[in-house]
Amino acid sequence: MTDNGIILSVQNLSTFFDTEQGTAKAVQDVSFDIKKGQTLALVGESGCGKSVTALSIMRLIPSPPGEIAAGKIFFKNHNILELPEKKMRLIRGDKIAMIFQEPMTSLNPVYTIGDQIVEAITLHQKKTYEQAWQMAEEMLAKVHIPEPARRMFEYPHLLSGGMRQRVMIAMAISCKPSLLIADEPTTALDVTIQAQILDLLDELQQSEDMSILLITHDLGVVAQRADNVAVMYASRIAEQCSCMELFNKPLHPYTKGLLNSLPQLGTRQNRLNTIAGNVPEPLNFPSGCKFHPRCPIGCNDKRCQTAEPALKEVSKNHFAACWYAEGYEK
Amino acid sequence: MNEINNKNWGTSYGQLVWQQFTRNRTNLFCLCFIMVLFTMAVFAPLIANDKPFVIRIENKLCFPLFSTLTANDYSVFLTAIIGITLLFLIRRNSLKVDPFLRSAVLWKQISICAVILLIGISLLQIFTPRKLDATDYNAMLADSKATDAIFPLVPYGYGRTDIKVSQQPPSREHWLGTDDVGSDVLCRLIHGTRVSLSVGFVAVGISSIIGIVFGAIMGYFGGKIDFLGMRLLEIMMSVPTFFLIITIVAFFPRSLFNIMVIIGITSWTDDARFIRAEFFKLRNQDFVQAAISLGLPLRSILFRHMLPNGVAPVLVSITFGVAGAIFIESALSFLGFGVAPPTPSWGQMLSTGVSTSGQFLWWLSLFPGTAIFFTVTAYNLLGEGLRDAIDPKLRKAV
Repeated sequence: MTDNGIILSVQNLSTFFDTEQGTAKAVQDVSFDIKKGQTLALVGESGCGKSVTALSIMRLIPSPPGEIAAGKIFFKNHNILELPEKKMRLIRGDKIAMIFQEPMTSLNPVYTIGDQIVEAITLHQKKTYEQAWQMAEEMLAKVHIPEPARRMFEYPHLLSGGMRQRVMIAMAISCKPSLLIADEPTTALDVTIQAQILDLLDELQQSEDMSILLITHDLGVVAQRADNVAVMYASRIAEQCSCMELFNKPLHPYTKGLLNSLPQLGTRQNRLNTIAGNVPEPLNFPSGCKFHPRCPIGCNDKRCQTAEPALKEVSKNHFAACWYAEGYEK
Repeated sequence: MNEINNKNWGTSYGQLVWQQFTRNRTNLFCLCFIMVLFTMAVFAPLIANDKPFVIRIENKLCFPLFSTLTANDYSVFLTAIIGITLLFLIRRNSLKVDPFLRSAVLWKQISICAVILLIGISLLQIFTPRKLDATDYNAMLADSKATDAIFPLVPYGYGRTDIKVSQQPPSREHWLGTDDVGSDVLCRLIHGTRVSLSVGFVAVGISSIIGIVFGAIMGYFGGKIDFLGMRLLEIMMSVPTFFLIITIVAFFPRSLFNIMVIIGITSWTDDARFIRAEFFKLRNQDFVQAAISLGLPLRSILFRHMLPNGVAPVLVSITFGVAGAIFIESALSFLGFGVAPPTPSWGQMLSTGVSTSGQFLWWLSLFPGTAIFFTVTAYNLLGEGLRDAIDPKLRKAV
């Protein structure tokens, strides 16, 4: 598996939550690979299981009620689901780092920026306090924070959202992780700041040669940054292919609907196109293909209503889970 | 580094609370009052003692007071002096420009102080001679065997019995009167401060440590651990503390330490519940999740990242707890279950006002009662001030 430079390989991952109303199948049968130095974007609506996938990789699913029911997650050829918690702790932050969605609350309000980065550094690396402090300052400079020497002494509430997200990134990359999981890193930020943060991630990816799992619901973000895209719908991957291919030749009706609902520059539209209906609840998934109630093809099709299509390779490196996708073996 | 302007730095949470706290005059007054009490408790043998500081006997200068002090007395002095020095050092440090230097210097100072303290106390325990001095220096002065004596402010010992002067109302010699064995009330009041304050602090220290650890674990893990913890806590809550103490005191030797421990291990339930509630709230906060995803060990997540964010309500409950512990000790001593005489305690003094001769000796009840009242009030006001200072809704713009 490592021969072709695959850093992370998620295989048939299923994560369920036990609730009083029944088992919520948040993630079902999800598989994907991330190669060294590449970015995989995980796209989908809210509640489709993107974040749960990320938390499963970090093994941060609160248990109970959550549970990784099936599947394997290979990180550098080791199944991290089988590691004892103690060893997993050494991987977290050191080998796999994570950036959260909400920068305003992701930093501890009672410690200075410097304290927090230094703590992250000294945890995984043998460094004296002074060395770690020096390194933290360099990290802040690396994420383009002006006056890093001064910022080190400041408390989080003095920084803006974009600045805090930079600090979070500085913390995450301070141990030079091989995989960075960015869970909607720009959702809570201004559009202008979004671009800066994404540029920064790009830049760091190149200089540190790390892989990124970019979780987002913003297709615009995906178009610019990702090498590969996996579109998730209702706990499963609906379509997976390279970024170019997704925009040029979408196969799954859900992907088509998503792309169709993007506003197009240069055309006049009174209303944006939408996909009719709502995202199904994890406790109450429809039978057959989960997208069929909202699908222009599937809503009247017997097979779509009864049988669920598996994710299959329809052309080279292009996977789709739709009975009517071009090239789907029936 | 020089261009860094001191004012541009963020004020920490602690500094904000302190600013808000000191803005209220009542808070400062209460704080000062408690400081004075502390000084009195620490230096009680130097304020009220029947041994003179200096006395000339047969043309030789003697220092009877200092030679009769025990190793424990000296240890208490040393601890207090080092503690005060440290406070001053911290105060001076906090004005320094470079906070990085500040924390490094601070830790160095704290460790040096701790080392000095440890060495000092052990040396004192080993080398202080245990001397009992039954000499009546007043008699010697009266017989002009000795001259040039300098006595402490209140020249009586707390264990003195002198039937000749028993049950005297306040007078020039005895400012607050004497009790029925002839001890000076003021002297006993000053020495009684030690018992009251140490009961308050040690008992609450024990209870808050147990409460915080217990509550933190319950709140962080939740689920089954929380369920079991809460049932244990409910059992603890249904135990009547006061009667438990009375029962235990009946079986074990009466000692101050026993009382402190019992108050401590029965009154942690409130702290545990506060911390549990706070941790439930904090557990799902993003910065805690971020700390976990950095791979921090559990100890660090619980006590370094979550505790400082959730400790505020417990701080308030601690101040109220100190007042409560003082009350319990006074009540126990009043009933005769407290510290054994001749060690003075306010509650025990209170009870002497009515017990013996049938008549009500007002000065025996009024002064210790007032002392208890003011101390407890000061602690309660302090707790209230702290609560207001911590509450961000009440915080005025700085």
